[in-house]
Amino acid sequence: MKKLVLKRLLQLIPMLIGMSFVSFIIIQSSPGDYFAQMKMNPEISPETIESMKVNFGLDRPILVQYLLWLKNMCKLDFGVSFAYHIPVRTLIKFRLKNTICLAIFSLVISWVIALPLAVFAGYREGTFIDKIFSMLAYLSISLPSFFVALLFVYFISKTNLLPLGGTRSIFEVDASSFALFKDYMEHLLVPGLVLCLVNVGGLFRLMKNNFIETFNTPYVLAAWARGVPRNSVIFKHALRNALNPMFTILGMEIGGILNGAALTEIICGWPGMGSLILEAVLSHDLYLVMGSLVISGFLLIVGNLIGDILIAFFDPRIRIS
Amino acid sequence: MCLTQKTGEMEQILEVKNLSVLRVEKTESISILNDINFMVKKGEMFCLVGESGSGKTTLALSIIKLLPKSFKIASGEILINGKNILEINEQSMRNIRGKDISIIFQDPSAYLDPLFTIGSHLQESYHGKNENKKELISLALQEVGLDSEVQTVYPHQLSGGQQQRVMIAMALINKPSIIIADEPTTALDVLTTRQVIDLLNAIRLKHNPAIFFITHDLELAMKTGTRIGIMYRGHIVEIFKPGREKPSHPYANILLGTIEGKDTILELNFKKNTMDSKQMQQKCPFFDMCVEKEARCKKTIPFVWCDSETGIRCLKNGRNTQV
Repeated sequence: MKKLVLKRLLQLIPMLIGMSFVSFIIIQSSPGDYFAQMKMNPEISPETIESMKVNFGLDRPILVQYLLWLKNMCKLDFGVSFAYHIPVRTLIKFRLKNTICLAIFSLVISWVIALPLAVFAGYREGTFIDKIFSMLAYLSISLPSFFVALLFVYFISKTNLLPLGGTRSIFEVDASSFALFKDYMEHLLVPGLVLCLVNVGGLFRLMKNNFIETFNTPYVLAAWARGVPRNSVIFKHALRNALNPMFTILGMEIGGILNGAALTEIICGWPGMGSLILEAVLSHDLYLVMGSLVISGFLLIVGNLIGDILIAFFDPRIRIS
Repeated sequence: MCLTQKTGEMEQILEVKNLSVLRVEKTESISILNDINFMVKKGEMFCLVGESGSGKTTLALSIIKLLPKSFKIASGEILINGKNILEINEQSMRNIRGKDISIIFQDPSAYLDPLFTIGSHLQESYHGKNENKKELISLALQEVGLDSEVQTVYPHQLSGGQQQRVMIAMALINKPSIIIADEPTTALDVLTTRQVIDLLNAIRLKHNPAIFFITHDLELAMKTGTRIGIMYRGHIVEIFKPGREKPSHPYANILLGTIEGKDTILELNFKKNTMDSKQMQQKCPFFDMCVEKEARCKKTIPFVWCDSETGIRCLKNGRNTQV
């Protein structure tokens, strides 16, 4: 187990370097740059733009630029954002916290709802209740996240049930930490529920199919034949085995945290990484894009690693060869 | 409390009377088992022989009431220790499974849960009091020739033969009155097959359970069975005692011919039984294939007991005098 984790962590280094190199070359090769827009502005002199380029190290060859960026990244210095004029690290730190909170919230809620319902519907396959759940799941899968987000925003703005946009309301200086937390959670609720609604249908269907598949396996039949009580057959044999493929899905969901929520974040006004990456790409904010990509790649690899570790932990066929 | 029914000298542990099973599809019902009659007595090894798809496993699953959802028992009785299990609810049946009746399946690697240790499987299989559980588990493993240490390993760490021994230990642990062995040697090599058969025989002699042994290997059945039932497309066509007498049904004779090196089987290769399940209920199920058929075979042929232990579903041999 330790070997597996260590091996996968070591693999992370060349993967991150390769990914960042390809991204750097692609971004730099694309037509136009951040300063192209500045050149259109008659108030900014070409000399100022040139001196900015020198400051950011953009006057050197691409390979040198990349190596310099890589050297700084090893010290966790991602450079300075062209647009915000603050270190990318500071910018990402704040936004990343919000995105991770949003992702964990929607992930936990959608898994907590989807898994028990899937087992319930799977056990009662073909019944009226199963058909109702399956229909709702189809609805959840077929609704695009941006549409659900728009509906939510419209509904909330009409009813004023929850705060919209940003992460906190205007507070007195001496507001208690509980009040701050409650306020943060209230802001989180709208984008969180949107993501949860969109995610829950797919998870339900996957889990239900897994459960039905394992419920019809020979070892479940053998458990019934041994006179094992019903709850043990369902939860010990069928559910445990049905959960195994879900660990891979969990890993992939963790890996997709940054990209999955971008549209919802933008529509709900949640200051997360999704909207930051989109703005950075559109304005050619090189170091911000690179910083976001590294974090994204890191999460992707770590997410898959978590999935693999969970599978190895729960499945002795992988743990013990 | 187990009820027992005595016939002659030996107790009848399992008795199946006029059992018919249907597969219910959207538009029609297809007959899978038709008018099945047989009994298995305490201490005997009753072998059921038939080709693939003849309904052997369906019969085994009917006896433990674990048929797939699309299958339905249309009529008949299944008596275990005298109690008709078709009349009892699922909760009561759960108390019978594993305790009074246990089953050994054909591919042990598929029938052992890969996520649980052998010890966990055995603990789960034991339905008695907890006091001497560990001791009994070790004893059951010892009886099938496995070390007690095997409890800590997972199914994939054992060979096919060892896995089948574990299945036998699980079937044995509650000392059931009947063990169903559904082709337990199909996935095993010749040597391991021999060992498993010897083990089942040793268990039979020591604990005296009834063994209902399902196989497609007539030669194996002839060597090991005390009585043999021949199954053909959902019908038991003959029950006979090996050694003492030769089977009389034309299909049983063709099967026997394959062991004796006769070329009767060649005739079958060029013929095809085109009858559907309804037609097979209306005339002899072997009618299309039979070389000895007569005009009177074109009607429903019932299974008739010739004596208390043997019977036949054929008009030809003269033993079926009741038709």
